[in-house]
Amino acid sequence: MTMAEVLANPATIGHEAPTDVRPVRLLPRPRGRTGLVAWLTTVDHKKIGLMYGLFAVCFFLLGGVEALLIRTQLIVPNSHFVGAHFYSELFTMHGTTMIFLAVMPLNAAFFNLLVPLQIGARDVAFPRLNAFSLWVFLAGAVILNVGWFLQAGAPAAGWFGYAPLTSKTFTPDVSADLWTIGLEVLGLSSIVAALNFIVTIINLRAPGMTMMRLPVFSWMALITSFLLVMAMPSIAIALLEVIFDRHFGTNFFEVSGGGQPILWQHLFWVFGHPEVYILILPAFGYVSEILPTFARKPLFGYPVMVFSGALIGFIGFGVWSHHMFTTGMGTVANSAFALATMAIAVPTGVKIFNWVGTLWGGHLRMRTPMLFALGFLWLFMMGGFSGIMHSAAPADSQQHNSYFVVAHFHYVLIGGATFGLLAAVHYWFPKFFGRKIDERWGKVSFWIIFLGFNATFFPMHFLGLDGMPRRTWTYDADMGWSTGNLIATLGAYLLGAGLVVYLAAAVWSAFRGEPAGDDPWDGRTLEWSIPSPPPEYNFAVIPTVRARDAWWHEKHDRARGAPAAAEAGGIHLPDHSWCPLIAAAGLLLGGLSFAHDRLGLSLAGLGVVVLSIYLWALEGPGGTHVHPEAPAAPAPAKT
Amino acid sequence: MDLALPASGPGSAHSRFHTYVQVAMILAVITGVELLLIFLPFPRPLLIGGLVVLSAVKFLFVIFIFMHLRWDRLFCTAVFFIGLLLGGGTLGALVNLFNVAASVPLTAHP
Amino acid sequence: MSSDTASPAAAHDAPTATGIPNKKLLFWAFLASDCMFFGTLISTHLVYRQYPPPDNPVPTRVFDIELTSFSTFVLLMSSLMMALAVNSIHRGRVRAMRGALLTTALFGLVFLGCQAWEFWHFVYVKNLTITNSIFGSTFFTLTGTHGTHVAVGVVWLLSMLAYSYRRGFDERHAVDVEMMGLYWHFVDIVWIVIFTAVYLLEYVYAGAAPAR
Repeated sequence: MTMAEVLANPATIGHEAPTDVRPVRLLPRPRGRTGLVAWLTTVDHKKIGLMYGLFAVCFFLLGGVEALLIRTQLIVPNSHFVGAHFYSELFTMHGTTMIFLAVMPLNAAFFNLLVPLQIGARDVAFPRLNAFSLWVFLAGAVILNVGWFLQAGAPAAGWFGYAPLTSKTFTPDVSADLWTIGLEVLGLSSIVAALNFIVTIINLRAPGMTMMRLPVFSWMALITSFLLVMAMPSIAIALLEVIFDRHFGTNFFEVSGGGQPILWQHLFWVFGHPEVYILILPAFGYVSEILPTFARKPLFGYPVMVFSGALIGFIGFGVWSHHMFTTGMGTVANSAFALATMAIAVPTGVKIFNWVGTLWGGHLRMRTPMLFALGFLWLFMMGGFSGIMHSAAPADSQQHNSYFVVAHFHYVLIGGATFGLLAAVHYWFPKFFGRKIDERWGKVSFWIIFLGFNATFFPMHFLGLDGMPRRTWTYDADMGWSTGNLIATLGAYLLGAGLVVYLAAAVWSAFRGEPAGDDPWDGRTLEWSIPSPPPEYNFAVIPTVRARDAWWHEKHDRARGAPAAAEAGGIHLPDHSWCPLIAAAGLLLGGLSFAHDRLGLSLAGLGVVVLSIYLWALEGPGGTHVHPEAPAAPAPAKT
Repeated sequence: MDLALPASGPGSAHSRFHTYVQVAMILAVITGVELLLIFLPFPRPLLIGGLVVLSAVKFLFVIFIFMHLRWDRLFCTAVFFIGLLLGGGTLGALVNLFNVAASVPLTAHP
Repeated sequence: MSSDTASPAAAHDAPTATGIPNKKLLFWAFLASDCMFFGTLISTHLVYRQYPPPDNPVPTRVFDIELTSFSTFVLLMSSLMMALAVNSIHRGRVRAMRGALLTTALFGLVFLGCQAWEFWHFVYVKNLTITNSIFGSTFFTLTGTHGTHVAVGVVWLLSMLAYSYRRGFDERHAVDVEMMGLYWHFVDIVWIVIFTAVYLLEYVYAGAAPAR
């Protein structure tokens, strides 16, 4: 039976226990599985993951365009390719877009797509809350970018929005309101999603899946989720204080009223530093899955990898003022934060050694995901070296706010986080699209990206040490920066071209790529044990896990235990719901209205949110039951 | 699930009722002591220390008894204490960062 | 408000890997996050109390500590009533739960009423507003945020109370009441911290007690 037939058949639809409270059905629960309504109301983690991915890729391209405009402005000295204020909008939105609207949602996409599959679950713990996170993310993205269409322009106070530049005095127009409110909304999306994944990973693991048998990616997802729920509140309060200063005349960062702008820096970086670990830990996870598969060896030192990931997360809360070494905090503070920052290099370095140890003695297969993962290893390490150079506070007093910092964070964010994502897309693409990305064009895109990336950002180390400040709009010909900038811009175009090739290959392959089976890479974890693409219920029978690298164990272990029993009564699937979308729409309305000081509309938006929460609570998860046929036994292991 | 309680004996729903009422009375008494304390002529560090300790006692009573952590899985306690320690640590660090001589604002000087 | 209600073999009967109900774990994780939220806000207040500008209002001349103590006591008692409500629903005693919930909500409203009176008094009699000093900004934002949390809690309590009249509401819904209880108690413990850090400490610093 197709899904549509199942849903149309009353015999397969579950009913509420007659003695329980009857749900209130003011809004329909759409039953279709295709078409726009199905996607707008879905609660399926796989569909939600794909939508996160689609939106994130679109914003990644937007951020890339912003980057190319920046680099074009800097290709020659004394250029006026773009005006100074527009340039400020460009570097602000490039940073904000890439961090909050590209990398974070791409990681969210992979959390959604993979975590339930890797732990042997049917979905996340709270499916409607999951959909809510997605739509609220979109609402925040709209609020952040709507400024491009307004006279006030897009936010232009830097991606870190230092006070008092964000005050009404220095940014009287609505762009700062759009930035603060947009980020508040995005923060809500992230916190809710992270809570959902914490409960999912802790509580919904398949029988036998102990924490120390969890795939490393799922561990990194858990730690990242903890970081999100602990770090986001700090920026939420900081943004709240800016919003109150701008709209209610408070004095949090208003010197004449007794405020101190430096407090913004502290509160922002209390969030901002854990944020960079939020960006990189998932990439650690992808690479920790990909290297073992293409080295045909288990990950070296699993317990240490898990422990060091947790340690990095925890220590990451204690280093924030290394972004503020030049603000005059005093010797003791500078020393303390410098030492803590150096300490974090230890568990990070341990991980790198363990990845190398995974490769050592393995049978390496140089497919595209492996190339990106190896690129990650090298480039992230280089970014780590420049990071260690920053951690020495005296050296940082020259490097701070120079292009050396730009080089450092692009090595860790592109060389690290983005290369990890590019590897992950190639690796898991067959699972969700049923086709492999073309191998030849994948490799071509890797080399163009690798060369273009290094050409762009390696010269920036020297530009920084030669004194070129960040966020420079234009520079004189006799500064000695001309050659470096020229190479960097040409490299940026090459990088852009490589990413276009990568994307084109992926899009083409989604329609015409070589069909992939369930397990095209001879993988090690449970997602490879189910069909490509997976059925809505993921597992026909919830697996019983007997070891780490559960799927590898199933394929290669002769003494397989009795297969797990199917659930009596069939598989329960929660119903689709309009409530998450409507709640997000309310937040969008309320956020945009409040930014423009429209009290009535803001209250209307709030009203929509409250109403949708009530409808959400009263409608219940609902649900239907399906009875799939039993799966065939796994294919004999390939050698 | 840990929702089913025995009808009688220690830890039963009936004895918990009494536990809750007793804890509420302790909380009220401690609050009264705090109010008295602030008007007593003790040295400042002693007063501050006393207030912090008393508040911490109230805090712990509420989380372990009213919020049930004493009878729940240890993991719930662990999760909450991660947040508590990070929040408290950040608060301590921020207060100390702003306390150093280098960070005193010029407007505060007489 | 309603737990999973699909057929007998439904998701809510599925055992969790830890034995902790999903909603309960979610809520404890959320409260850990809220600790950081209030921690940051309280930090802001305390940071600005260290070296205030010379024209900053003196808190002990603004506060009405008797009123605040009374409202603190009321909030503590509301926590007791909330614990009793959860206890009742675990024993299947819905009517007792309803009484306890109503009392909790009423105490919450009394707390809010006291706070509203306090705010009015500070603004119109003591001339402390959210804009005219750094103390005013941090005080009203911190206690106002807490008050908003209390108000949301009261709405939740009354909604749960109304919901409990629907046919079929019984101890199967205890986890929802428990979740609400966790929220209410958290709001109480945040107030315990605020009462000490924002109110009581001012008297210690301003008092005749000798500093060492």
